Amino acid sequence: MSILTLKDATIKFGGLTAVNSVSFELNKGDLFGLIGPNGAGKTTCFNIITGVYEPTSGEILFNGKRITGTPSNKIAQLGICRTFQNIRLFQSMTSLENVVVGGFLRHKTVLGSALCYLPGAIKETEKLKLQALELLKLVDLDDVANTRSRDLPYGKQRRLEIARALATQPQLLLLDEPAAGMNPNEKKELLDMVKKIRDELGVTVLLIEHDMKFVMNLCEKIFVLDHGEEIAQGPPSEIRSNPKVIAAYLGEAV
Amino acid sequence: MKTFSVGDWTKSRLISVVVALIFCFLCQLAFGGDGLKIYLRLLFSLVGIYVTLAVSLNLINGITGQFSIGHAAFYQIGAYTAALLGSTYFSNMANHSSLLWLFMAMIFSAIVAGVAGFIVGLPSLRLRGDYLAVVTLGIGEIVNIIVKNQKSLGEAYGLSTAKYESTVFAVVLLAIICIAVSRNLLKTSHGLAFLAVREDEIASSAMGVNLTKVKVTAFVLGSAFAGAAGALYAHTKGFVGPADFSMDTSFLILTMVVLGGTGSITGTTCAAIVLFIIPEKMRDMHDLMLGVPIGVAIGIMVGVGMLKKIQDTFHGDGKVRFGMNIGSMVLGIIVAYGASKLLCTIHGLQTMVNGQLFRMPVLAITLVVVMLLRPQGIFGHNEFSWSWVQKLIGKKNVPEAEVAA
Repeated sequence: MSILTLKDATIKFGGLTAVNSVSFELNKGDLFGLIGPNGAGKTTCFNIITGVYEPTSGEILFNGKRITGTPSNKIAQLGICRTFQNIRLFQSMTSLENVVVGGFLRHKTVLGSALCYLPGAIKETEKLKLQALELLKLVDLDDVANTRSRDLPYGKQRRLEIARALATQPQLLLLDEPAAGMNPNEKKELLDMVKKIRDELGVTVLLIEHDMKFVMNLCEKIFVLDHGEEIAQGPPSEIRSNPKVIAAYLGEAV
Repeated sequence: MKTFSVGDWTKSRLISVVVALIFCFLCQLAFGGDGLKIYLRLLFSLVGIYVTLAVSLNLINGITGQFSIGHAAFYQIGAYTAALLGSTYFSNMANHSSLLWLFMAMIFSAIVAGVAGFIVGLPSLRLRGDYLAVVTLGIGEIVNIIVKNQKSLGEAYGLSTAKYESTVFAVVLLAIICIAVSRNLLKTSHGLAFLAVREDEIASSAMGVNLTKVKVTAFVLGSAFAGAAGALYAHTKGFVGPADFSMDTSFLILTMVVLGGTGSITGTTCAAIVLFIIPEKMRDMHDLMLGVPIGVAIGIMVGVGMLKKIQDTFHGDGKVRFGMNIGSMVLGIIVAYGASKLLCTIHGLQTMVNGQLFRMPVLAITLVVVMLLRPQGIFGHNEFSWSWVQKLIGKKNVPEAEVAA
């Protein structure tokens, strides 16, 4: 069953067409990779999907429902959540608090009950904290739950972003260069973690990554963008030998 | 983590409410008197009102990160609402049962100011940072100018209204409510969403936080508290005039928030008290020899220089560092005292000057010094908590989770 469909999605900034008539389809449980040279429009694709930008034309369907033009926070509520290429954590808040904010969007208590410190709001906060602690365990960060996120090393910040996104209980997780700046060891751990997220939590994953070894090992389907246009899509084995992809991005040696 | 139990909750809530009410009552007893105490009562009430104003602005500026500098506008709206209603429609009630009317006035004013905050906030909170600051600054001035030119609002003369002694009780209660509401917000997940908006708007929106809702809520809440404070101001002084709500007032409130540490309720409260009392107390200074202020200035320079040097170069043990900081402050005081004595022996510096001249410069110097040494404000993002006190005294057995909570 298709969970996310892009139909001829196009976005223009003035005279520049950043994404030109891109169409692809993600099925439930996919590990889908989005690759391409710098400036190809990958992150813009993410921004269109998550409602940061509204596409100039074309449409995006999530679970068969049109979500084009829906604001970001509504899209997160529908079940799409993302991480950012340049880490965007809530810096002066602790790891735990960061993840609690992720879980907050499904809150049931009203603000008034929080302002009066009523049992409902306290219980909900405790529940969210426990849930956040579970997620921190999943990404192996439970030892730094009370550390300010600004003080975490880079690799941990990336993992924390994933935990925060998972706290929104998404059906579709978008990861924007999750392995950037990680050493080979950390990359291997990340690979296992993403697989675990898909297998155990049943979350569909769409990711952008420049590390080809990482993408080829992880993803079951890959979409290649260049200058905002599709040049290929298919399983890794096909992509690796596709002459267009080799010319535009991979180069001869891979 | 401690789990929630209804029994504990009821007990602790009940105790806090009772303690708060007793505290208000004691304040009323101590400062509410007549006669010679009138000045003291006014001073105390104003301190309470400014604490409320600063903490309510902290809700907007510090916790939600929306840089608003027109807070006096809502304070003014509240004050005029109370003055107008108290002297016209409800004059009977206002004359007979002061406390009941005070609470009604507070609620009325809070609602009117809150609605004004909503009307102003909804369009302007789409702006960010500097732009929002300029808009709120403009709104503050617009409100004041409108009031100045309305005949029904007394134009530049202002309005007079009933004056009560019992305001002290209400003032302290309002300040406590305002602090409690801010603190409750920060203790629950709702407050974390507010903080998230301050930290990163794009990320918090991507996490499902409704930016407009959070910002407008904070703005309305802050405005409503400012309005309630305005109502109390009107009945403390018995008079409201546009001069009390000028841009200076907005900036004073903003200074309290920044000096105390944006986002820190404790810091804002302390800063509001200190910043209000220093200039007031300095009114008592009369004749000084010219040598004294020069000596004090030299002392401050030496002390601050030492402090800054220690902060920049010494990275050792916290306790040693703390001691060195205290030491440099003591050194500053000694130098100030010695230099003043010495300079006053010089004939030319024995001229008498009026000490009140230095009222505002001292405030300005205090601000500059604090911002130099601690740009994040006195308390930074930190809050006062009992476990922190225990930690400071040296009880090591405080559980980690409690410190974090």
